[in-house]
Amino acid sequence: MLNLAAWRSGSLPRDTRDTLFLLAVVGWVLLMQVGHIPVWCAAMAVAVLGWRAHITLQGRPLPAWPWRLTLLAITLAATWMTHRTLLGRDAGVTLIVVLLALKTLEMRARRDAFVVFFLAFFTLLTHFFYSQSLLTAAGILLALLGLLTALVNAHMPVGHPPLRQSAWIAGRMALLGAPVMLVLFMLFPRMAPLWGTPSDAMTGRTGLSGEMQVGQVARLAADDGIAMRVRFDGEIPPMRDLYFRGPVLSDFDGVRWRPLRSGFPASMEIQAELQPLGQPVDYEITMEPSFQPWLVMLEAAVEPPELPRGRAFMTPDLQWMSTRPVTDLMRFRGRSHLAFRHGPRQSTVALQDFTELPGGFNPRTLALAQSLRQQYGAGPAVAPRLVEAALERLRTGGYTYTLDPGVYGRDTADEFWFDRKEGFCEHIASSFVILMRAMDIPARVVTGYQGGELNAMDNYWVVRQRDAHAWAEVWLAGEGWVRVDPTGAVMPTRLGSLTRLAAPEGLLADTFRNLNPTLARQLRDAWEAINNRWNQWVLNYTQGRQLDLLRHLGFDSPSWRDLLLALALVVGTAGLAGALWMLWERQQHDPWLRLLDRARRQLEQQGLPAVTRPTPRELARQTQQHWGDTARARAIRDWLLRLEAQRYSAAPGASLATLRREFRQIPWTQTTKT
Amino acid sequence: MKLTAHLPWRQRSEGAVPGVSSGGPLTQGRRALRRWFHSRLPRTDTLALTHRNVYILPTRPGWMLGLTLLLLLVASINYQLNLGYLLTFLLAGSAVVGMHICHGNLRGLSLHLTPPAPVHAGDAARLDIRLANTSRQARYGIALAVTDIGDDTAHLTWTDVPAQSGAEVHTAWQVTRRGWHDLPALSASTLFPLGTFRVWTVWRPASRLLAYPKAELHPPPLPAGEPQPGHAGASVVRSSGEFDGVRAYRRGDPLRSVVWKKAAQSFAAGRDDLVSRDASSSQRSLLWLDYATCGAPDPESRLSRLTAWVLQADRLDLVFGLRLPGREIPPDSGPSHRARCLEALALC
Repeated sequence: MLNLAAWRSGSLPRDTRDTLFLLAVVGWVLLMQVGHIPVWCAAMAVAVLGWRAHITLQGRPLPAWPWRLTLLAITLAATWMTHRTLLGRDAGVTLIVVLLALKTLEMRARRDAFVVFFLAFFTLLTHFFYSQSLLTAAGILLALLGLLTALVNAHMPVGHPPLRQSAWIAGRMALLGAPVMLVLFMLFPRMAPLWGTPSDAMTGRTGLSGEMQVGQVARLAADDGIAMRVRFDGEIPPMRDLYFRGPVLSDFDGVRWRPLRSGFPASMEIQAELQPLGQPVDYEITMEPSFQPWLVMLEAAVEPPELPRGRAFMTPDLQWMSTRPVTDLMRFRGRSHLAFRHGPRQSTVALQDFTELPGGFNPRTLALAQSLRQQYGAGPAVAPRLVEAALERLRTGGYTYTLDPGVYGRDTADEFWFDRKEGFCEHIASSFVILMRAMDIPARVVTGYQGGELNAMDNYWVVRQRDAHAWAEVWLAGEGWVRVDPTGAVMPTRLGSLTRLAAPEGLLADTFRNLNPTLARQLRDAWEAINNRWNQWVLNYTQGRQLDLLRHLGFDSPSWRDLLLALALVVGTAGLAGALWMLWERQQHDPWLRLLDRARRQLEQQGLPAVTRPTPRELARQTQQHWGDTARARAIRDWLLRLEAQRYSAAPGASLATLRREFRQIPWTQTTKT
Repeated sequence: MKLTAHLPWRQRSEGAVPGVSSGGPLTQGRRALRRWFHSRLPRTDTLALTHRNVYILPTRPGWMLGLTLLLLLVASINYQLNLGYLLTFLLAGSAVVGMHICHGNLRGLSLHLTPPAPVHAGDAARLDIRLANTSRQARYGIALAVTDIGDDTAHLTWTDVPAQSGAEVHTAWQVTRRGWHDLPALSASTLFPLGTFRVWTVWRPASRLLAYPKAELHPPPLPAGEPQPGHAGASVVRSSGEFDGVRAYRRGDPLRSVVWKKAAQSFAAGRDDLVSRDASSSQRSLLWLDYATCGAPDPESRLSRLTAWVLQADRLDLVFGLRLPGREIPPDSGPSHRARCLEALALC
């Protein structure tokens, strides 16, 4: 602890202080990785850094190579154990973190120190795999400044300069470098990945998945993460109408719902046959990366949205897809009609796909269907009454909505309808569709998001992962596909209300929320509004926006070549400005001195030995001495003395311009000697 | 066990020009190129650094930084990380600014060399260089070195130059042969602030250095004096410390010629007058240091012996003359006489 006191009083030896500072910066870089790296990796990094700091403070020698080799071997083995590979993104991040920590044990030569710096920069970048939030950016900026400070400090070899000084220089460098960063960021063409991104970039993200197994959406329901932000051009439609359509699941194998894999030839498959009714709603969606190809749009969008990358198309089940997965934040404009009809109006053969059920599952639900049909009759005409009967059963049969329904067995629909009578939207929608199909009514599950909330700070409509929802569509003759939300029947408040079931949060957040719910909400809104700005302006800066910028600058139909051109223009202009500035700086030298210097150089070219103190008089004397009393030497001497007089004499005589003219008339090159 | 330096990148090895090792035809070629390049530089004792005589090249870490930036950019493209682009470009921007700072760290500085005092061959001449900074920015980590053509790992002297101020740097240069020497080219370089660029300048000072012959380490005693006209007969110069005459102390007498024994006696008697040895009156014969008769085998060792004798005689404050082939310096004493003798020996 003595050393800590020494640190504070600034009396640590320079080397010790510098090493400790670098260790602190590396520690900060590694600290930000906690949460993305295995626990053993974090523990090892902390231990190694602590050991290194101890070595520094005690002035001990660095560990010999067997130590480092052993540690490296342990690291490789542990990485293999954790990730089952040494390649790929996650294993790479683990390795780079440990290598960075281990490299600090080896800062012997200047080269080693630079390796630490460069490894640290890579480690910083890997952080963006997991988060690109504003907070991350702030942390990274701090780390970058720390690293630059350490570098600057290392190149001030004299004395004991305070770290504050290095930090100031590093900060100034970053500040002056910021315009370069801005220009490059704005104009450097955004291109597609140069080669296939490793698949593990796609894992570990929450969001809707392409299939549904009971229990999966429950996890999402507890997730407060933002799925997308919507800005409506006009008034925000009522919340109960806000259905954002995701994957449509029509294929059920008893356990899992999957998108339709029809056995019918493509020509016979049912088509979307979308017919918009009423006024359209215009809006702009900013989707968080889902690493999935689908575009979650408000039901029902008629025209394909213009995407920054890729192309949008609609599937026959009314789902919008992109030709490329949404791998980063993506913004696009949409137009939807809240009232619409879709699907075939008349019965077709292909509708058989939507009444299929696997054999041997849910016998009691099948029996329930049978009894309902006996009660109401069969045929397309009674289908609406059967749907209504099923909904009535949900409303009055003692069914409840819960986020924690427990583990369901094999016959999920049976358990829901008869045993447990509780579940969330997924259980309800799945069981409802199974019941419909059992009554020969074509039905399917639609997943997506329902509702959302308004951020009062920036008027963005925010849809979170916990707004993920599953509902049903049934086909009715003459109507086409009709949305039925059985969850609404179980718990009407699930739709169209601000109160929702939230998963329990941490104790602190809970307490705070209870103490002052309004303030907590405002704070969160403000924070998310800032984050949204960040998303809109930084993370969502795509090639589309780059080209928009060029359009503003007057390019007609810009392409990425124009981006390069603009970049080259900016760089060229900056270079030219630099050259002009340099010329200007040269002009700043005294014109008299420059004239004298020209004379000196002329004389030296003619063979005069170098003059140590090139005053005009001294030059004149040397000229006389070197060439004797020739006419040329006299001319030069006289000119030099006039030059001297111009500067120093009370009566300056010739002007500088005259002297310059005379300078040109002097026969410098005449080489005759006497 | 030796303590390890904790930030050893401040070792002096960084003064080495990147990628140069001794030996090999490539190195030879490089040296020839550098010699040719140096020979084109004008000689001057005052050098103002402008963009015309300040050179800049990336160092090896600089190339490493470039590679790092490229990798960061590729990672940003491949994972479509907009924040990755920001990080990459901010780092690149800082590096560009660092390059300018590095160049500006030398540009605008002026160097001035004080003409060096003569030394003996084999000794190191001290070169005093004054760095003057007129700008409002301080300059950090400037290394001065003597760039011997054959030696790339020259010893670097580091200094900072505060804003609108100056700094003195001393560096040393070993001379091996007597005579006039052109000073070697000096270099000023800096790696500040990031170490990714090396900015340097090469400077050939105009001053020349006079190297006296090396003094013989253990020379024989001074030769006997030659009889002086008017002092016939007496021909012994004592080296025992005895003296013949004393006189009253005169201002300017060297302290060693004060007769302290007598001074103590006169102090004891209550007087405060000092007495000095009267060398001129004590010396009844004249000391001639003669190249022809000094007794050393070859010319250089003769000069070496004579040099040692000159120094010895000067120390003893003797009046002596020097006879060299083709030149004779009449007897005298004092610093300027000594300098004249040594110069004659150096240029003999």
